Formats: sequence, structure tokens, C-alpha cells
Amino acid sequence: MMRFLLRRLGHAAFLLLGVSVLAFAFSTLAPGNYFDEMRLNPQISAERLSALRADYQVDRPMAVRYARWAVALLHGDLGFSFAYNTPVAPMLWTRARNTLLLTGTATVLVWMLALPLGVWSAEKRGRPADVALSWATAVLLIVPDLALALGLLVLAVRSGWLPTGGMVSVGFDGFSAGQKIRDLVLHLVLPVTVLVASALPVLLRHVRAAVAEALEASFLRAAEGHGISRRRLLYRYALPAAAHPLIALFGFSLGALLSGSLLAEVVMSWPGLGPFLLEGILARDLYVVIGGVLLSTLFLVAGNFAADLLLYWADPRIRAEAAER
Amino acid sequence: MEPVIRVENLVKRYASRELGRRAAAFTAVDSVSFSILPGSTLALVGESGSGKSSVALCLACLEPVTSGQIWFDGRDVAALSERESRAVRPKLQIVFQDPATSLNPRWTVGEIVAEPLLVKGRVANRERRERAAQGLERVGLGAEYLERRPAELSGGQRQRVAIARALILEPKLLILDEVLSALDCSIQGQIANLLVELQRALGLAYLFITHDLRMAAHLADEIAVMSRGKIVEQGAVETILRGARCAETQNLLGASLVDRETEAVRER
Amino acid sequence: MSTRSRLIICVLVLGALHLGVACAGFFAPYDPATQDREHPYAPPMWLHFLDAHRGIHLRPFAYAQESQTGSFDEYEENRARVIPVRFFVSGAPYRVLGVLPLRLHLFGADVPVYLLGTDGYGRDLLSRILFGGQVSLLAGLIGAGLTLSIGLCIGAAAGFWGGWKDEVLMRVAELFLALPWIYLLFAMRAFLPLAVPPVKAFLLVVVVIGAVGWARPARMVRGIVLSAKERNFVRAARGFGATGGYLLRRHILPETANVVLTQAAVLVPQFVLAEMTLSFLGLGVPEPLPSWGNLLASLQHYNVLVSYWWMYLPALAMVPFFLGYLVLASLLQGSSRATKIEVASAGV
Repeated sequence: MMRFLLRRLGHAAFLLLGVSVLAFAFSTLAPGNYFDEMRLNPQISAERLSALRADYQVDRPMAVRYARWAVALLHGDLGFSFAYNTPVAPMLWTRARNTLLLTGTATVLVWMLALPLGVWSAEKRGRPADVALSWATAVLLIVPDLALALGLLVLAVRSGWLPTGGMVSVGFDGFSAGQKIRDLVLHLVLPVTVLVASALPVLLRHVRAAVAEALEASFLRAAEGHGISRRRLLYRYALPAAAHPLIALFGFSLGALLSGSLLAEVVMSWPGLGPFLLEGILARDLYVVIGGVLLSTLFLVAGNFAADLLLYWADPRIRAEAAER
Repeated sequence: MEPVIRVENLVKRYASRELGRRAAAFTAVDSVSFSILPGSTLALVGESGSGKSSVALCLACLEPVTSGQIWFDGRDVAALSERESRAVRPKLQIVFQDPATSLNPRWTVGEIVAEPLLVKGRVANRERRERAAQGLERVGLGAEYLERRPAELSGGQRQRVAIARALILEPKLLILDEVLSALDCSIQGQIANLLVELQRALGLAYLFITHDLRMAAHLADEIAVMSRGKIVEQGAVETILRGARCAETQNLLGASLVDRETEAVRER
Repeated sequence: MSTRSRLIICVLVLGALHLGVACAGFFAPYDPATQDREHPYAPPMWLHFLDAHRGIHLRPFAYAQESQTGSFDEYEENRARVIPVRFFVSGAPYRVLGVLPLRLHLFGADVPVYLLGTDGYGRDLLSRILFGGQVSLLAGLIGAGLTLSIGLCIGAAAGFWGGWKDEVLMRVAELFLALPWIYLLFAMRAFLPLAVPPVKAFLLVVVVIGAVGWARPARMVRGIVLSAKERNFVRAARGFGATGGYLLRRHILPETANVVLTQAAVLVPQFVLAEMTLSFLGLGVPEPLPSWGNLLASLQHYNVLVSYWWMYLPALAMVPFFLGYLVLASLLQGSSRATKIEVASAGV
């Protein structure tokens, strides 16, 4: 168990290291210098600029800058935002928390929908209900995420049923606890719907395929022959048999939702990592961009690590293999 | 007479190597020696997993040899680099067990048979075609097969195509790796007879690899029995069949006796 | 219907759709950059066959739109002014596929007719959607071509060489897979210059999109190369002295054709969407060059979103193309189970 864990942890660390090097390499390869553009920014004085130049050692080789940044990172310091004139880390954490709230809710919801629907349509495969569902997913699949997000926004604006921007209403601080939760949930509805609608069709198709394949397996045919109830057969036998591809899919779904959330956040002006990163890019705010990318990778890597643990728990073959080593 | 090929103390080890883990070596071939005279057949007989196919791959220069020598055409083939061995390979050809996988399904029979000439280069399209037709004729297939694809052929026909391809560069030695095992019994006999005819006509030497002792006895001049990477018994066909000393040989003999259908082929 | 004939129909339909966009100049009545300051945010005009006196016209006509006094974006249909639509008229010059200069348009009228309305500068939305499709689809097609070339080279190299080179290449591929791809896209875009001329920006976007997605096709190609390398016909070819280059060219790479085609059908719409996203967010193709993404950018303004519903139409332009590519991908992936999972997850 420990060895398996350590190996996966090592793998995750390697990925994070690689991504940070990659992000840094891009920044060095890019033409121009961030401080050149900052010179045009009246908010930053010449002294401040030269202090920053010295502090970040722009003229030193990339390896040196990377090493300094990495050491600082280990102390929780993600660098300095030129645009906001403050350290990046605290801002990034608030934004990341909001993104996590959004994607977390969407992940839970989308799996709560995809699993039962997928199992159901796998059971009814080939019958009208299954065909109808696959048509419905196809429709969702061919509508671009962007169109979906904008469409829902138009709908919400026109109908006035739902709040259409931000995370909370004006005067949120004065609300009671119940009102606060209600307000937050109402604001969540729109972006979460976009995320769920964009990720659901692909997940649904996979769950259906995996369960359908498990149902075709001869040991399940035999179990069916023994007269085990339909429900038990589906959820106690077929679903665990399909666990391996599904858990692998879980990692994929996290990446997809995280990517999708960026667009949804910008369209719905949800104060998450997405709009923050976008602003950072437009303002050429180097450490905001690197920090944002790194943090999103961290989420993904953490999610995949969780999926690995789940796999270890669900698949006796992996447990046996790990025990052997 | 000088043998076509002389194998001395051939060893093949497979290291199961994965990054950052202990390497566990598996010895597939353990100091095997034999030689084959021109125009004669040595049958290498053994159960599956006894290392006989590894011998075939090493001899055909398709797998690097761990240690030992393979003397062929006046040099030690085992010591040659990948690049150097390319010059030697055409003279010792291998035919595989399953003709379904040894022919590229996208190519026509004509292209497949003439492929060695394409690889060799400097042979005009027209000549390639003619030689492919000749090659097919030699294995009993007409020129009408030139434009067909492997999927349109029966197993026996495919194996004939594979043999025709192996012969087109006029090799001295043919390594036949279980060439009959994937075929129906009646077809087995036909292909076996074709092999005998070809040997007579072209003076080829065969290394005939099989798990079927009866078939080996039918085709070979000499038999070597392999078990767990080693040759446990070797000698003329008659000697092996009459007085099998090793338990392995007796097992194999017993196994083929049970196999009535194979028996029938031998009688033919 | 056999899979083959379905495939042919699907390719034909997709081809017709692309041809329509390629010949945008002919189908679009106006130049996409021509502004009509008299008609900002003009709503779509309907084509009529029946006039107010219940007379039937064989030639479709529209009613003129006249702006209401005191308002800059509210219009009234003037039932008295009938604008007959003419077909195959001469109009704004354009070049077919960027080469052949022509002036012929499918339709036109004496007074401007805006079938899908206009934007804030009075530019014809129909023309902009058609020309924008050229930009977006081209970005998707070139991006997919680039990604597949990189993926094919790296995958083939890793699978064919094996050993430590394979190990290193696949670790790098994992790195690219580990990033949420849109963040990666952003990161790459972030470090490239922002304010550049449209054509250069377009090339930049294409290169960035193309460089991001290579990891998955590379892994799939590698898998196929690995198994193809062990096929007996490849061994046999090595047996008669074939070189590595010959084996790759003649035997191994043809095996990857199916996966590469399927991946292309998956990647093109995905990359069109990537271009749309980047341009929508202002990181892609800039004005005045239209693209499906930057046509939607104005919807980020609240008043546009609420008041002018037709500005939403460019978002739907992609739908028939998505549908075509989706069907194409599912037809191409055929019966192979292993690729099915990979292909579908590539769509995530």
C-alpha cells in the first residue's frame, strides 16, 4: 500500500515539477519583457520598477530565476502581481476556492447524473429509451459550450429567474446564514448547469459503454442465469466490473470540468481562476499566469491521485500487484 | 561436407527490464549447439515454451544473441551489428507459424511475394512482377493470384505465399517456425510435400521447428529435442523414434501417437 | 445502409458545408468589413412572398427598415417600400479561396438587405458569419493537421525506437495530458505578443492550438506502432534486410491511418471551438477580421446580450459542422473497442 501510494505521489510531484518548468520555459522563450510593458504603467514608479527588476533578477539566466521562484514557492510564495501591486498567493487562493466550489459542485452533480443514467441506458441498450437518451446526449454534444453558456445567460437575463453575474448579491455580508446559502446556491445554478451540460454527454456515453461491456461478459451472463435480481446484478456486479475504466474517466472528467469552468466563469463573471487568469494574461502579469496554471494543474493532479486511491480500493488486481512488489 | 550453419553454445536471455525495478532474467535458450548440412533438414522438437522459437529468431538475426556463435556463410552472424546483419539476412529466411499475420493484409499477393526485391532495390517493377509470378508458380499457385489479397486466400494458400516470399531471394537455409501447426490436417500434408519437393529441387537446408514429433520424423533427417532451453536428445530420426531415452521425448512421442489425425498424415 | 455508404454521405455533406464557407464571398451579399452607419444593430429582415394586398410574388422581397426618429437602434418596417431580392447580381469584389477575383453574389438588392441583421457598426451579420467561418474552420483544420503531424512523428518515434527515448517522450506527453488543456492554451498564448496584426494573430492562434493537443494522438500512434512492430510481416521484412525507414513507411505508418483519420474528425471541431474560445476572450483573431469567436465577443456587453438576440446567431453556426464531424468520427472509429474509448475521451 505504502509503495503504491509513494509511487503515485512521486508521479504527481513529477508532473507538477514538469508543468512549472514548462510554464517558466514558455515565459523565457516569449519575446519581450514584462517590465518593458510595465514602464508604460503609471501606477508603478521608476524606483519600484528597478527594485522589482533587481528583485526578480530578470537579466539572470532562466535556471537561476526558476530556482529562486521554486524555493519561494515551497514557502507558499507564488511571486508578485505587477498589476495588483500585491503578492499573488492570497488573491490566487480566494479565486481558487471559488473555482473549486464551482467545479466541485459540478463534478458531484455530473457523476450523480451520469452513473444512474448510464447504467439505466446500458440495461436498456438498443431499446427505444436508450436510443432516445443517446439522441439527447448527441444534441448536447454538438452544441458548443460557448453557445450553451451564452444561450443560458440570455435565457436567465430575459426571464429574470436567476441572478446572472458574480457569486453573491449586493449586500451579501448583511444576510443571515440561511439567506447567504440560498443566495450562493442561486448564483451557482447557471454556471454549474453549463458545466454539467457540457461534461454530461461524454461521461454518459462512457458509463453506458463500460457497463454494457461488463453486462456482455460471460460471468455476468452466468449470474443472470442464476436468477439474481436485475437491480443487484446491475449495481453489485456490473458496476464494480466496470469500475476500472470509470475511475480512469473520473480523472479525465476533472480536467474537462476544470477547462470548461474557465469559460463558464468568464461568461457568467464568476470570480474564479478563469477571469483572474484572463486578466493576468491581458496585463502580462507573469506570476499570476504561472501561479494560475500551476494551481489548476495541482487540482487536476490531486484529483487524479484521488482516482488512483479509489482504483486501489476498488480493483483487487491492483492491490495484488502492489502487494507483490 | 561443410555445414550450412553451425550453432555453438547459443544462449538467449530475456531481461524483463522496467525503469527503476530489479531486472529478472529469463533464460530461453541455454547453450544450444547444432549444425545443418546443405540439402538436409534438422527438426527442432519441443513443447511450447521450450525455447525453440527463440532459437529461430536468433538464427534469423531478429533477436540479439546473449552469447555463443552462429557460423553462417563463413562468419559469426551473432557478432554482427544490426546494420551489418542486413546483408546476411536474405540468405537465411524464416517462415512463421501463422500465415494470417505474416502477410500484410493491405498488400496484394504479388506485392508481398516481390517485397524482398523491393527492399533489396534496383529491381525494375516489371522484373519484380515476373519474378513474383515465377515464385508463386514454384509453390503451386498460378499468376492469377498476383492481384489477390491475403484475406481472399485459404490458410494453406497463404502459407504457400509466405514460402514463395521466403524463397525469392534464393536463400541457403529456410527456418520453418511451426509452419504447419496453424493449418488443417489435410493441408498440412500438402504443404509438407511441397517443402520436400522444394528441398529436392533447390538443395535447401531446413531448420524445421515443431512440437509434433511425427511430422518431424516425416520431414527431417535429424531430430533435436528441446526442453527448457536445452537440447536433451539429438540424433538420426530412426534412433530417436526407436529408443527415446529422455522422458521429454517419450512424452512428445506419446502426445503424437494420441493424435490420430497426424498419424494419418504420416501414412500418406 | 452499409457503413461505407454512410461514410460517403457524411463526407459529402461535410464537404458541401465546407465548400459553402470556402465560397463565402458568393453566398454573402456584402463585404464583411463594409459598415453601414445608418443601420447599426438592425434586426434580421424577413423575406416575403405575400404582400400587404395578398398578392403573391414569385420573387422574394423584403420591406425596408427605417430607423425611428430619436432612436439609434430601433427600426420600423416600411410596408410601402418593397425591396425585391435579385439573384446572381454583381456586388462587392471578393476572391474565391483567396485567389480567383469575382464580383458575383448569390443575391442582392438595390437597398441593403440584412437577412440576419447587423452589428453595432452596421455590418451584415450573414456575411460576417460566412467569412468568419473561413477563419475559424481554417484555424481548426490547420491546427488539427499540425497536432496530428506532431503526434504522428513523436508517437512513431517513441514506439519504434523504444527504450529510454520512448520513456522520455511519453513522460513529456503525460505532462501535456496532465494540464487542463484550456489552461495550457492560455499559458502558451499568455507569453506571446498580444497586439499583433490579424493575419499574424491568426497564425499565432493556430500554432498555439496545434502545439497543445499532440500528446493524445502521440500516445495512440505509439500504441499502434508498438503492436505493428511485433507483427510477423514486419519481422519477415526485417528478415530480408529492410531498414527502419522502410518498415515505418511501408508497413507501420499505414496501420495508423485509421486512428489518425478518426482523431482528425475529433480534433477539428475541438480546435474550432478552441479558436472560438480564444477569440471570444480577446486572445485570438482580432477585429476587423471576423471569426466565429470574436463575432460573439460583443455579447460580453450586457446591453448587447439583452437587446439584440440575433447577435447570438454566430454561436449556432458551428452546430451543423459539429454534427457532421461527430457522425464522421463515430463512423470512422468503426468496431475497434480500444480506440473507441480513447476517441470518446478525447472529446472530454
